Amino acid sequence: MRALAIIMALAATIPAQAESPLPFDIGGPFNLVDQFGKKRTEASLVGSPSLLFFGYAECQAICTVALPRMAETIDLLDAKGVEVRPVLVTVDPVRDTPKSLRKAAPRIHSRLLALTGDETALAAARKAYGVESEQIGEDIEGPLYAHGSFIYLLDAEGEFLTLLPPVLGSERMAEIATKYLIKN
Amino acid sequence: MYRTVLASLALSALAALPAQAAEGKRIEIKGELIDTWCYFSGVMGGPESVVGTAHHTCAMWCAAGGIPVGLLGEDGEVYMVLKLPKDDESNGGETFLTLTNDTIEAEGMHYKRDGINYLVVSEVISNEGIPNKTHEDFGVIPGNTIPKSIVKEVLEEG
Repeated sequence: MRALAIIMALAATIPAQAESPLPFDIGGPFNLVDQFGKKRTEASLVGSPSLLFFGYAECQAICTVALPRMAETIDLLDAKGVEVRPVLVTVDPVRDTPKSLRKAAPRIHSRLLALTGDETALAAARKAYGVESEQIGEDIEGPLYAHGSFIYLLDAEGEFLTLLPPVLGSERMAEIATKYLIKN
Repeated sequence: MYRTVLASLALSALAALPAQAAEGKRIEIKGELIDTWCYFSGVMGGPESVVGTAHHTCAMWCAAGGIPVGLLGEDGEVYMVLKLPKDDESNGGETFLTLTNDTIEAEGMHYKRDGINYLVVSEVISNEGIPNKTHEDFGVIPGNTIPKSIVKEVLEEG
């Protein structure tokens, strides 16, 4: 019961005056390719708002929480008439090739833009968005990575709006996103 | 040893925090660094059982897997930790994993956004280790986080 109360408290709507800007500069140039082999840059994030997450398709840790929640949030926003593009930038260039992402992406969300590239290009993208990633081991399936796990809400210009901790429920993520996107 | 190995794997929630004017508030805060997934989701039981020694192993794995670490303050609020200092000269090089479930006193910048507290720790002022001996009431949560080698050792001794 107390857990529920805490979640409710975390989810409570906070007046606008309680907001404070976060101390980082998120976003910047990147040169990646999508699951269809098409070149993608930061300009690809212009045109509609995005939820952006760094992870990998074979991740058995935080991605199994964050990616379904991101997808559910997209669907909740769709139901509100707010179309947002889900974006995954892989941290696993070995396994997340365009070909493999073409199979994996629809399992996450039908509109997922899945981005990959070589290690240098992915490192540049991580740097632009302030995301750390490190290979922590390897199992029979391949490398295991630890990586940053916050979801970024970007506006239709690709500019950072806010962070969404992956421990939030999709309803709360959609509520926060709606607040920003309707305002913007 | 276990913690030492895992410590090298610890990652900050956000890597880059460029110097930039921001309307945060400098605070000193004392509390326990917790696993926010198990704390908020309730999947492992009530919040009392997923703090302290009872949940320490799981919390380290969650942190290694990317679950954001939070600081459960004495005020009962959870502060999502965006950054812990790594500089050996300033704070002993502590990272998320080496500090998991430790009760620390920290100085840093507090940001409140979307109803969520965020904390960028600039300095760990003191560290009490893990004084919260919850295993005495709850055992190990979840039980399967006891390393098999330890279970075998205990059984053989016992």
